[in-house]
Amino acid sequence: MKAATKTIVGTSVKRSDLLAKVTGDAKYVADMTLPGLLHARSKRSNIAHARILRIDTSRALALPGVKAVLTHENVPRVLHAGSPHPRSASVTCDQYILDDKVRYWGETVAVVAATSEEIAEAALDLIEVEYEALPAVFTVEDAVRPDAPQIHDREPGGNLVLPPVVVSRGDIERGFAEADFVIEGEYEGGRPTPAYMEPNACMCQWDGNGNLTVWISTQTAFMVRGIMAEVLGLPLHKVRVLVDHMGGGFGAKQDLFQSEFLCALLARQTRRPVRMEYTREETFLGGRTRHPVKIWLKQGFRKDGTLSARQARIVYNSGAYGSHGPGVTIVGTSAMTSLYRCENVQLEGRCVYTNSPIAGAFRGYGVVQTYYALDIQMDEAAVKLGMDPAELKLKNAVRAGDLAPSNHPLIGHGLEDCIQRGMQEVGWAALRRRARDAGGPQRRGWGMGCEMHGSSAYPGIKEQGNAIVKMNEDGTVVLLTGTAGLGTGAHTALAQIVAGELGLRFESVSVMHGDTDVVPWDIGAFASHTTYLGGRAAQLAAVEIKRQLFERAAKLLEAAPDDLESADGSITVRGSERSMTIRDAVAPRKGIPAAQFVGTATYHPTKSYSFAAHFVEVNVDIETGQITVLQVVPVHEIGKVIHPVAAAGQIEGGIQQGIGHTLYEDYQIDMRTGRSLNANFVDYKMPLSMDMPTIRTVILETAPDPGGPFGAKGVGEDPIVAIGPAIANAVYDAIGVRFRHYPIKPEQVLQALREKQSAIQSPEEEGVPA
Amino acid sequence: MKNRIVSFTVNGEAREVAVAPNRSLLDALRTEAALTGTKKGCDVGECGSCTVIMDGRPVNSCLVLALEVEGSEITTVEGLQAADGRPHTLQECFMQCGAAQCGFCTPGILVAAKALLDENPAPTVDEIRFAIAGNICRCTGYTKIIDAISLAARPGAQS
Repeated sequence: MKAATKTIVGTSVKRSDLLAKVTGDAKYVADMTLPGLLHARSKRSNIAHARILRIDTSRALALPGVKAVLTHENVPRVLHAGSPHPRSASVTCDQYILDDKVRYWGETVAVVAATSEEIAEAALDLIEVEYEALPAVFTVEDAVRPDAPQIHDREPGGNLVLPPVVVSRGDIERGFAEADFVIEGEYEGGRPTPAYMEPNACMCQWDGNGNLTVWISTQTAFMVRGIMAEVLGLPLHKVRVLVDHMGGGFGAKQDLFQSEFLCALLARQTRRPVRMEYTREETFLGGRTRHPVKIWLKQGFRKDGTLSARQARIVYNSGAYGSHGPGVTIVGTSAMTSLYRCENVQLEGRCVYTNSPIAGAFRGYGVVQTYYALDIQMDEAAVKLGMDPAELKLKNAVRAGDLAPSNHPLIGHGLEDCIQRGMQEVGWAALRRRARDAGGPQRRGWGMGCEMHGSSAYPGIKEQGNAIVKMNEDGTVVLLTGTAGLGTGAHTALAQIVAGELGLRFESVSVMHGDTDVVPWDIGAFASHTTYLGGRAAQLAAVEIKRQLFERAAKLLEAAPDDLESADGSITVRGSERSMTIRDAVAPRKGIPAAQFVGTATYHPTKSYSFAAHFVEVNVDIETGQITVLQVVPVHEIGKVIHPVAAAGQIEGGIQQGIGHTLYEDYQIDMRTGRSLNANFVDYKMPLSMDMPTIRTVILETAPDPGGPFGAKGVGEDPIVAIGPAIANAVYDAIGVRFRHYPIKPEQVLQALREKQSAIQSPEEEGVPA
Repeated sequence: MKNRIVSFTVNGEAREVAVAPNRSLLDALRTEAALTGTKKGCDVGECGSCTVIMDGRPVNSCLVLALEVEGSEITTVEGLQAADGRPHTLQECFMQCGAAQCGFCTPGILVAAKALLDENPAPTVDEIRFAIAGNICRCTGYTKIIDAISLAARPGAQS
C-alpha cells in the first residue's frame, strides 16, 4: 500500500523554490521597490565605548534630498530584546533603538532617509557627533576584573550576561578519585561570522490607517512582528511582516538589527516607504558572530578508556550586547554532559559582555565551541592510552537510554552507527596502520570527530509548530506555514510531508508562507527544527483534513472511513477495486459547491538528537604551514530523510563553514581601540570553490524519532560541529602537533613545528600546545 | 552629477538608459533596467554575485561603470532562458542537482558557468572550480554546483 506516498517522502523531488532562483525571478527585499521610495543609511560610531555628549544633524538635514534624520534624541526609548523569543530564557533584554551610549566600534548612532543612497551616504558625513570616551574592554579577562567599566547597567552585574550556568551530574570528586589518569587542557575559539550572501535588508511602509508593512530578510517573521509592535506601541494586527526569498541567515537573522525599527520610524516620519540595505561591511559591523570562547576542560579516564569525570569552565565572549548569549551558554555548556558517556560531570558556563562585535545565534549555537574541546581531548586521551581514537570514541559514544543534554533519554544508537559506518567507508583500521610519509614537505593525516545536536530549542524555548492545510475544489491543497525558507528547501520538504500523508502527488501541494497576516503563527526557522517541528505540524494538519476527506469519500464509495486509503491522488477501499480520485471526492455535486476541508494542527515538540561522525584527510605543508583539507566523509544519522539532496546540501554547506572557522575565518578587531580590521570578503577569508575538498556524504536513518514527521530529525546545524575537531585531529595525525584552538593558521603551524623541533630532546612531550 | 545617456544591448534587447556617471553597471541593471536577478552581495568586487557577461567575458558588474558599456552586449541571468521561456541547460542542471540553496549567489554563478561553457564546452572539474573561483557561495559547499556544471557540460546535455 501507499507506494506513491513512500516515493514522495524520501525522494529528491524538484524543489519548488528553485525555478525562481535560477531564472533570477526570485525577489529578495533589496529587489523590491515602491513609489516614492526613500533610501536609508546608518551612521556608525568610530569609538568602542563612549557617551554621546552632542549630536548635531542640522547640516545633514539641510542637504537637498535628505528627508529625515533620527538619533537617540528623537526615537522612542524602549528597552527590548534583540532577538525576541517568547518567554524565553535564551535572549537578553538589553538594547534600545538608539542609545546615548555606544558599546562597540561601529554601533549605529544616527540614520538618514534620503531620495537616493548617494545622498543618504553623503549626509552621514555631515552629522557631527561629540563623544566622551569611556574605558573599553575587549577581552573577557579584562571585562570581569573588579574595576572593569560596566558595559550595561543590569543584573547580575560584573559584565556577566547571565548568572553562571552550572550543570552537575553525579559526584565529580569521586569521579576524579576513580580515574587512572587525568587530562587537562585549555581550548580557544575565534570569531567567525555567518557571512550570509544577502546583506540585511528591510523596507517599511505605513498606510493611511496607520498599518505598518515590513518586508524583511529574517528567519523569524513573527518575532519581528512581535517586537516591532511592542517597541512601536502597536497592536499585532497593525504590523504585517512579509518574507519571501531570503539569502541565508545561518542563525544570525533571528535577531533584529536596530535598522528595522529605524526604517519604520523614518517611514512614519516622512510618510514615504523607506528601504535600508546593509553594505557588506555593515553585515560585519552590525551583524552577529559566533561567540569567541575559552574553555578549560579536565577529564578523568580509567585504564580501559572509559570516562570517570568531566569538569569544564567555559567562557563565551558576548560582545557589546547579550543577543543569544544566555541560550548559547546554556546549550553549549549542557552539551558537554553528553556525546561521550560520563557519569560524573561538573560544568560551568559564563557569558561576558565586552566592547566587541555582537555575538549571537550562529549554526551550532555554542556547541561548535564545546565539542571542539571535548572531541580533541578524546583524541588526546587515545594517544595517551595507545588506542585508536575512533575506537575510543565508539566505546564511549552515548546511546539509547543515556540522558541527553536536554535531560531526555536518547533514542537509538545513532552515534555508534555513524562512527562504525565511517570507519568502514574510509577503511579506517588500514589507514591507522599505514606507513607515514617522513620525507618531503607534504604530510598527510586522517582524523575523525563526532557531534550530536538537538532538533528544536526545547527546553530553553517551549516551541510550537502550527499548520493549516486547505483543500481546493479540484483536490489540490495549500499548506499555510509560518516557517521561513532560508534556502534549505524546507517548504519543499513540508509539501512532501503533506502530499505523503494525504496520498496526493507532490505537484498537487503548494505552500503559502511569509505573510504574518495570512499564515499561522510560527516561532521561526532555527534550531534545526523546521522539518521536525513545522513538518510534524503540517503532517498533523494533513491527518485532520484526510479524516474529513475520508468521511465524505466513505459515503460516496459506500464504505467505512477506516477502510479507505489514499495514494497518488486516489482513494481506494482497502482490498477492493472500488476507488475514486480525491478530486472527485471533494468536487461539487448536484449543484452544491465543493466541500470545504480545512485541517489545522498545533504541535508542541520536546526534542530529538541527530548524530554525526566526520572523517577527514588533510595535507600539511611543513614548509609553508598550509593545511589543506583533501577529503571529507561525513556520516550523519538524521532519522527519516524527507529530501536526500536537500539534506546532503545542508551537510556539504555546513562542512564548508566548518572548514572556514577551523582554518581561516576570524573577524578581528584592534585590541586597543576595538576598531574592526577585516570587515570585507578579501580580508575575512572563507573557503571557496578552489579550496573545497571532495565530500562523500553518507546519511543513515537508523534512529528515527517518533516526534518527527515519518521519524525525521533535524540536520541544519549538525554538519558544522564535527568537522572542526576532525580537522584538528587529522593535523595531529599528520605532523604530531596538537592544536587546541581555531582557526589554525599557517604561521601557527610553522611556529609549533619549530617549537616541536627544539623540544625534541624531551621525549615525554607528546605535542606542543598552540 | 548630470545623467548621461548610455546605449547597450541587454539579453538581446537594445536599451538606452540615463545614468549618473558614477553609477555602476550593477546599479544601472538593477535600477534603470529593472533587472534585479543580478545581485549585490558586496558592491566592491569581492563576491561575484553580480557577475554578468560583457562582450563574451564574465565581469563583476559592480566594478564596471555604466558608461563603460556603451555599445556592449550584456547577458544577465534573465537572458539565459530560451526565447520560449524554457530554462537553459545550466538552469535545468542546477535545479536537478540541488545546486541552489538560498539562491542569492546563483545568478552570478550561472552566468559565470555560461561564460565558461561558451568558451570551453567540455571543462574539467578543476577548470570549473577555477571559473567560479570569484563567486562566493555560503550554502552549498560547492559540491552540487560543480556537479551541476559538469552535468550541463556532458555531451548531449544541451537539448
